Amino acid sequence: MSFLILGRRSTQLSRIPTRELFLFSCSFSSQSPNNSISNYRSTIFYSWYNSSNRRNKGFSSIFNGRAKNPSGSIWGVRFLSSEAAVEPTTADGLTVEGIIAKNWNILDDSEDDWKSHASSIAQSVHLIKKRLKWKRLMYRLEVLSAQLNKADLWDDPVHAGKISREHGSLMNKVEDVMAIEQELVEHIDMIKLAREENDPELESESVKALLGIRRNVKEKELEALLSGEHDNCSCFIEVQAGAGGTESMDWASMVMQMYKMWAQRKGYGVSVVDEMPGEIAGIKRATIKVDGENAFGYAKSEVGVHRLVRISPFDSAKRRHTSFVAVAVIPILGDGSTHVQINESDLRIERYRSGGAGGQSVNTTESAVRITHIPTGITASCQNERSQHSNKASAMAVLQSRLDQLEMARQAQMNAQHTQSLTEISWGNQIRTYVLHPYRMVKDLRTNYEVSDPDSVLEGDLDDFILSYLSTSIDKDEE
Amino acid sequence: MRLTKLSERRLRPACVSKKMKLSFIRPISCCSVSSPATSVKPQKPIFLRPPTFKTTISDLQKWHHWAKSLISSVGSTFLELDNGPDSELLLRELNWLVEDAIETPKSFLQQPHKNYNDNSSVAVRASLEQLYMLWKRRVEERMPFQYVVGCEHWRDLVLSVQEGVLIPRPETELIVDLVDDAIKENGELREGLWADLGTGSGALAIGIARILGTSGRVVATDLSPVATAVASYNVQRYDLEEKVHVKQGSWFEPLRDNEGEFVGLVSNPPYIPSKDIGGLQAEVGRHEPRLALDGGASGMNDLIHLCDGAVSMLRPGGFFAFETNGDEQSKFLVHYIETKKQGNFSKVKMVSDFAGIKRFITGFRGR
Repeated sequence: MSFLILGRRSTQLSRIPTRELFLFSCSFSSQSPNNSISNYRSTIFYSWYNSSNRRNKGFSSIFNGRAKNPSGSIWGVRFLSSEAAVEPTTADGLTVEGIIAKNWNILDDSEDDWKSHASSIAQSVHLIKKRLKWKRLMYRLEVLSAQLNKADLWDDPVHAGKISREHGSLMNKVEDVMAIEQELVEHIDMIKLAREENDPELESESVKALLGIRRNVKEKELEALLSGEHDNCSCFIEVQAGAGGTESMDWASMVMQMYKMWAQRKGYGVSVVDEMPGEIAGIKRATIKVDGENAFGYAKSEVGVHRLVRISPFDSAKRRHTSFVAVAVIPILGDGSTHVQINESDLRIERYRSGGAGGQSVNTTESAVRITHIPTGITASCQNERSQHSNKASAMAVLQSRLDQLEMARQAQMNAQHTQSLTEISWGNQIRTYVLHPYRMVKDLRTNYEVSDPDSVLEGDLDDFILSYLSTSIDKDEE
Repeated sequence: MRLTKLSERRLRPACVSKKMKLSFIRPISCCSVSSPATSVKPQKPIFLRPPTFKTTISDLQKWHHWAKSLISSVGSTFLELDNGPDSELLLRELNWLVEDAIETPKSFLQQPHKNYNDNSSVAVRASLEQLYMLWKRRVEERMPFQYVVGCEHWRDLVLSVQEGVLIPRPETELIVDLVDDAIKENGELREGLWADLGTGSGALAIGIARILGTSGRVVATDLSPVATAVASYNVQRYDLEEKVHVKQGSWFEPLRDNEGEFVGLVSNPPYIPSKDIGGLQAEVGRHEPRLALDGGASGMNDLIHLCDGAVSMLRPGGFFAFETNGDEQSKFLVHYIETKKQGNFSKVKMVSDFAGIKRFITGFRGR
């Protein structure tokens, strides 16, 4: 929602008699679960609190938290350039950073203590800003705004669409955070007011509202971990056995199973695209497709080499073995993204494991194809579909994603780790060790996070590893 | 146009007696619904049957376990014997059978069942006895998997198949792509009349009908009453009765009324030389219809007949694509057309399948 519009509205509002203002405020507060200030009282509050400046802000937060006008981004430009510097403060000048500085004790959220809630919210806001790389984000937003204001922007509609999409998505993030800050300071004001007025009911409502915000913003902390450009995409997870024959092929199939179960737990769609089984057991290599919101954002934490230590079930002498498996994760870019254009004539499509004469002489349900992109030498295959046509379509999707990934890596050397393909992952790049013998433990070498129950991890209980990796990797590299 | 006549005939009430049809509408006896061999009733593939059978998880697991042990006893013996399926492929097929036969296959396949005493009930589309019998036939009698489940996934279609009908091959999928390329170059082909000769399950006719324009039509012929019955069933499943007309008869016989009107001819005729039939993979040699496989001494009896007939059947500029046994036949046929049918065709060429074998010949009727 635009500040310009808000400004206009607010000026109009100040001319409207109080009763209409009351209705107006009613309709908005009632839509807001977090803003549980009673409509009646908030009206009294706003009409009583007659600094027009403050009143504007009061409404702006309500607006900000709610309806997102699609045209908002354009208006947002003004908001940023003219008002970004205005930090939300309470009547007596307390800012979000100020609240953190106060170092109020954070108690369990069942305690009815507003300072504890406020402090927790402020901490969360701080963390979210850090995760969103706030300064960089604001700078990027300014750059995008400047571009959006250019008169010749729409001469290149594809570029313009990209700019305005990115601007819109960043704007949403900024507005979300600012709305939380605004609500926080308002409720603190409200509580102070209630105390002055000796109105315990009003106070308890605001405390309750703060609690709501506190819980809500905790969830947003997690969301902020997945703010990378392709984090919300579906993805392919690829697993490849390291040296060591059957032993590591068996480990590869255990790792694959772990990801399948993890994905199912998260409610993602899972399908096997390609699987090259080992001669005796396990798999040499496999690719699964994980379908769903943020699949790439989470799974990218798994890129690297996974090491297993155990007594080998394939060794009659029962010796201890160490095996390695490499994992790569490829985002499947959505329709809005720019895909690498694939030239049909650059492709070589081959049937694999084609037996003998083919045609009528052969009846097989094996219809795997391998597609080679000749200029890059990148290949993709699929064999798990029931028709050659579908195998080809699936393999094409994998090929497209691999080429997109290559292009992303080319364009941005940064973030290179996540865009590594299997062949590029160095076997020295171990990220996690799973020990089944002589003791039992899974330890992430990047975060030092560990658990003593390998079975649960191998059954897909990976979220703690993923979240601890995401938070350490993101929280450490800024500020 | 004859084409409109054709559809008028299709709309003729079904009560018209067979006798009347034979005398009255002779060559174009429309759709297998009215074909002489209506006695052939197409079988429903397993995945389309209602899940009326109840069994327990534990009984199903026992079956699954038994089926897997049957598979592991195969190893690579079939592969070495006649290029048949190895145990890995059979395992995948078993999963597909589970997918087709069980109402909620995912929960069965994906949950690691440690508990063998699970007596909760599962709805199945075939009885447990049938499942045992079908898998036994698959492994011990080498019955093709597609006859086991009653369907073949071909392109983006799932076609019903049964004994007596050739199972469409993955290679043949490419003919639809070849037709697609041709109609993209020449819009007239998109709206015209096509023929699929020796349609079998109706695969090519259906695949092509789905890429034609609103007035494009396909006539699908087959000599086998089982094939025409199955093809008609498949046409009906894809709601293409208005676009695809299935007729029983040998090659061009049922098409005489539309001679010279076709904008396209496709066919996957029998092309295996008679002497090779005995050495075929068991799934093919023992179970699939010889009528659809045996192309005579050289394997090219029917292909040559098709090349000859194409001259009079195709309109100028019309397209043809035929499948062959591979390099040798394709080369022979291109040469045959270029010398014996000189001037009748243009742009005659061989097209390879994904295994790199020159599997198809294509070309255009000269203008």
